Amino acid sequence: MALPQDDKAAIPQRPISNIVFIIAMQTEASPLVDKFQLTQESNSVFPNGVPWVRYSGKYKDLNINIVSPGKDSVLGVDSVGTVSASLLTYASIQALQPDIVINAGTAGGFKAKGACIGDVYLASDVAFHDRRIPIPVFDLYGVGTRQACSTPNLAKELNLKIGKLSTGDSLDMCPHDETAIIANDATVKDMEGAAVAYVADLLKTPAIFLKAVTDIIDGDKPTTEEFLQNLAAVTAALDQAVTRVVDFISGKNLSEL
Amino acid sequence: MALPQDDKAAIPQRPISNIVFIIAMQTEASPLVDKFQLTQESNSVFPNGVPWVRYSGKYKDLNINIVSPGKDTVLGVDSVGTVSASLLTYASIQALQPDIVINAGTAGGFKAKGACIGDVYLASDVAFHDRRIPIPVFDLYGVGTRQACSTPNLAKELNLKIGKLSTGDSLDMCPHDETAIIANDATVKDMEGAAVAYVADLLKTPAIFLKAVTDIIDGDKPTTEEFLQNLAAVTAALDQAVTRVVDFISGKNLSEL
Repeated sequence: MALPQDDKAAIPQRPISNIVFIIAMQTEASPLVDKFQLTQESNSVFPNGVPWVRYSGKYKDLNINIVSPGKDSVLGVDSVGTVSASLLTYASIQALQPDIVINAGTAGGFKAKGACIGDVYLASDVAFHDRRIPIPVFDLYGVGTRQACSTPNLAKELNLKIGKLSTGDSLDMCPHDETAIIANDATVKDMEGAAVAYVADLLKTPAIFLKAVTDIIDGDKPTTEEFLQNLAAVTAALDQAVTRVVDFISGKNLSEL
Repeated sequence: MALPQDDKAAIPQRPISNIVFIIAMQTEASPLVDKFQLTQESNSVFPNGVPWVRYSGKYKDLNINIVSPGKDTVLGVDSVGTVSASLLTYASIQALQPDIVINAGTAGGFKAKGACIGDVYLASDVAFHDRRIPIPVFDLYGVGTRQACSTPNLAKELNLKIGKLSTGDSLDMCPHDETAIIANDATVKDMEGAAVAYVADLLKTPAIFLKAVTDIIDGDKPTTEEFLQNLAAVTAALDQAVTRVVDFISGKNLSEL
């Protein structure tokens, strides 16, 4: 999260040593687990019975954790969405005390805002688009706009596309969601980001968001079809981008990002 | 949550001693805090910086905790909705290990399903109506239908109205939400129940849901207006019902409810 100016004094001026990746789907996480040669922890930091998984290991001088909400214990599908993501982020920050949280995953993109399949965006801001509370101030709370942790050098060095991220619990987009997404001025749309942002902010932990575009929302193809078609290939693009981000972070303080 | 038959053997055959109430709004919680003469804990079981509040005390032979997500630290409004509720439920169950969780609060009701202002419903089932994922099995995960913990004696003795509860993060209801709510066959509509149910299920803790109707969704008046108008009065009705529930629970095992 963007930290207020005086908190910057409180940030330890030492290199980042501890990163937690929040990744919603197994398909998105696996290439990164392999790339960083992480192993699944048998001694879980999570309570008995929750499906959350954790992979960890050392890469260069970084302790890397990848946590995922895992498969729903009854239905067997990835536990996507804001509730799982917020619980996982909460439990992971509490247990692992990371210097920075990185929410990485796939997203829909708007071609009207310049998004293309395979692009990996660094989110500048995140907000919800499916929490409409038409009472003054509650409305702002529902939208929950937050800035990502400021990382200008990372963005510039890696030539990452920058855009606003809008989050909701539906894969599709009804007209009311669309109105809110436009109001959020979003380039990319996902199902977890704003929830991760909320928890990271609550626990005063910096967070950034890397989203790879699997489908063009304002394009011709139906979302679900396009998403499933492109998931594997785009996950490879995400893997590349995340690796470059980690390599960039290695050895740097938070304020150097 | 409804516990599978073999788990019933694992339920301690002793009276319930430890209840945690999950209540989203200060206005809903205050009368109950007063009724049970609870005090706010200065030594928090929650992490530094989170706005969650806990009131606790002894009432008859029960340890009662009322937890609320509290006021948003920036915006100052009650932290309503599924993300806050799930985090609070998770942290509370972990810290307080209740025998049963009771999610009490206000809701909209459908007159077509027999709901009237001031009714207090005991939910038979809970589900989400704003998590649309049109992929087989993911769709079921999104809806997340669960049964409440079975409490036939409680329902009968207190003459509580029974109905299905549908949860979403919006106070209003767009056409897509309405379709899902109808598919959920809901009588009452709220903003936290299904999230509390999800977490209680994850952590294998029984949960029940008491919802007092503040507004008629399929009526003439606009929701927001009606909700704000009736909030105080209906909260009093909720207070009465919750007190009767606690008095009923006192001295009983889970299986006697």
